[in-house]
Amino acid sequence: MRTWRFLVVLVVVSHLTLPGLWPVAPPPAVRAQAVDVFLNVTGGGSRKLNIAIPEFTVTTGADPAGNGKLLASVAGADLTFSGLFSVVAATGAIPPNNPQALEQSWKEFAAAGAHAGVHGLLALRGERAEVEMRLYDLTAPDHRLIAGKKFELPAGQLRRLGHKVADEVVLQFTGEPGVADTKIAYVVGPVGRKEIVIADYDGAGITPVTRNGSINLMPVWSPDARSLAFTSFKQGYPDLYRVFPFERRPDQTLAAFVGINSSPAFSPDGKGLAMTLSKDGNPEIYVLNLASGTMRRLTRHAGIDTEPTWSPDGRQIAFISDRSGAPHVYMMDDQGTNVRQITSGGFHTQPRWSPRGDTLAYTQRAGAHDIWLVDVDGSNPRRVTSGGDNQGPTWAPSGRHLAFQSNRLGRWQIFAALADGTGAAPITRGGAESTSPSWSPRLP
Amino acid sequence: MLSRCAHVTIASLLVLGVVLAGCAKRPATTAATAPAPTGAAATTPGGGSTGAGPTTMAPSGETSGTGSGTTMTPTTAAPGARPSPAEFVANENLRDVYFDFDKYDIRPPDAKTLDANATWLKSNPGHLVLIEGHCDERGTNEYNLALGERRAKSAMNYLVSQGVQASRITIISYGEERPVCMQKSEECWAKNRRAHFLVKAR
Repeated sequence: MRTWRFLVVLVVVSHLTLPGLWPVAPPPAVRAQAVDVFLNVTGGGSRKLNIAIPEFTVTTGADPAGNGKLLASVAGADLTFSGLFSVVAATGAIPPNNPQALEQSWKEFAAAGAHAGVHGLLALRGERAEVEMRLYDLTAPDHRLIAGKKFELPAGQLRRLGHKVADEVVLQFTGEPGVADTKIAYVVGPVGRKEIVIADYDGAGITPVTRNGSINLMPVWSPDARSLAFTSFKQGYPDLYRVFPFERRPDQTLAAFVGINSSPAFSPDGKGLAMTLSKDGNPEIYVLNLASGTMRRLTRHAGIDTEPTWSPDGRQIAFISDRSGAPHVYMMDDQGTNVRQITSGGFHTQPRWSPRGDTLAYTQRAGAHDIWLVDVDGSNPRRVTSGGDNQGPTWAPSGRHLAFQSNRLGRWQIFAALADGTGAAPITRGGAESTSPSWSPRLP
Repeated sequence: MLSRCAHVTIASLLVLGVVLAGCAKRPATTAATAPAPTGAAATTPGGGSTGAGPTTMAPSGETSGTGSGTTMTPTTAAPGARPSPAEFVANENLRDVYFDFDKYDIRPPDAKTLDANATWLKSNPGHLVLIEGHCDERGTNEYNLALGERRAKSAMNYLVSQGVQASRITIISYGEERPVCMQKSEECWAKNRRAHFLVKAR
């Protein structure tokens, strides 16, 4: 006889009637139906879908560390963060190979208001770990299975399995994967000694990237999520380098000209790197062809031109120029032609083009700094942060979230929020100053 | 046979509301009166310039880098093109100059300081000089890196106008990364907005 206990937490309760959901269908059709259901449930607004995630069931191997519980917690936190789900949490795992127990628990979760249930099956095989995710429709009378998928990773990357489950659930309901299996690179350390680190998007697993005791700034991910470009004073001057944090491979020097070498931005196809160089007299924007080493100059102006950011299609570059007197956001095509001013008034830096292509984030200084969004045609500027000083926006690969640095709690920390600024929460909590975040693309 | 007990707790998620009302815009702080930067006044289509390797104020013109097509060959500067900043040391005869918030023009009292610095440098021709440009912590890192360079360049241009050979001068911007004063006050910020002078024997 087994006993286990549920602790059900409905983070947000929606009293919804959901007649006739999720008909039996092959996976693609299921997804289309699931999207419809999701939109019906959420109304496309702020209501969320209630999803139950009991502890993962360990099917193979011993789990003295409680990884089944950990992974349910990781995936649950990811789904909460997505802003699309309210997680119905539970304690106690469903025993393996026990359909009656599974059905009984779904019945109870459904009664508590859950619309869907995720059952994770965890196999621990020494060096490897595997999770099978099974997604159930709890609004259907038979609580039918609507999707399933397996993921395998080295045991040392166990938490990623929870992230992958969450991303798959988001994919099933929205048609686009979640962003939980991503990293954030950022800068830590006191004045005069700043090093680059990477962590999971939720702040776990902080890993050093640079250890040179110098000043390292402005990390940005390459589109394949395998490398970072950054500015470092490690050779004395502000030069541009590239590091491969997951490989045994030496750093590359990308630009070490007289003057400033800074503000790297990989083109969306990964073949080019836009940057700021002052070698020709004052800060101008150039694009380095990474295969040939050819450098192409895009701007020619006596003002400061810096901080390039690419449109997702790679055909436009937004940047900062103070040619009008104070820094504002400008745009040009990738040949440097058709320059036009996008923002005006105020003091604007740090433009970052949204992965969806329709919006730019930037930092406005008005005493303190705040993150603003503006449509790419310059219309509808709106502030999305408040409290303390907020800088350095970086988009999640979905465009649904932003991370940024804020000192609203005292020291600089990295925060993440939905793109409209709601739900802002710190993802770093250490004693060190944490600045200049860069959100990675989805990991391969 | 299974026995269960369910405990249902209901909590509300606090959704952080963010006021999206526009915030007051302050007038733009415009930069600089002197010395005016040189360069084209209008933006022209990128003609491209330079390739791999260190350059000194290279004229523009499409040139190819030294990179091969197979593996990415970075544009590496040959050592020796720029003297290492670590080789320069402070000299009591060379005094810092300071700048207004967001500005890089030389103020009259600082011009006197630079006159004295120029006099010493001209009477000590065996020394090279490194001018560091610095900003206070306000502003964003990337922009401050550019502003710090403008300050170093303003100081350099002034020294050159007073007869110091440009070839003796190297500049570097540290942006806001190396403050001398750590408090969050105008008094402290004013000390950090500076050009700092270091020398080394040729």
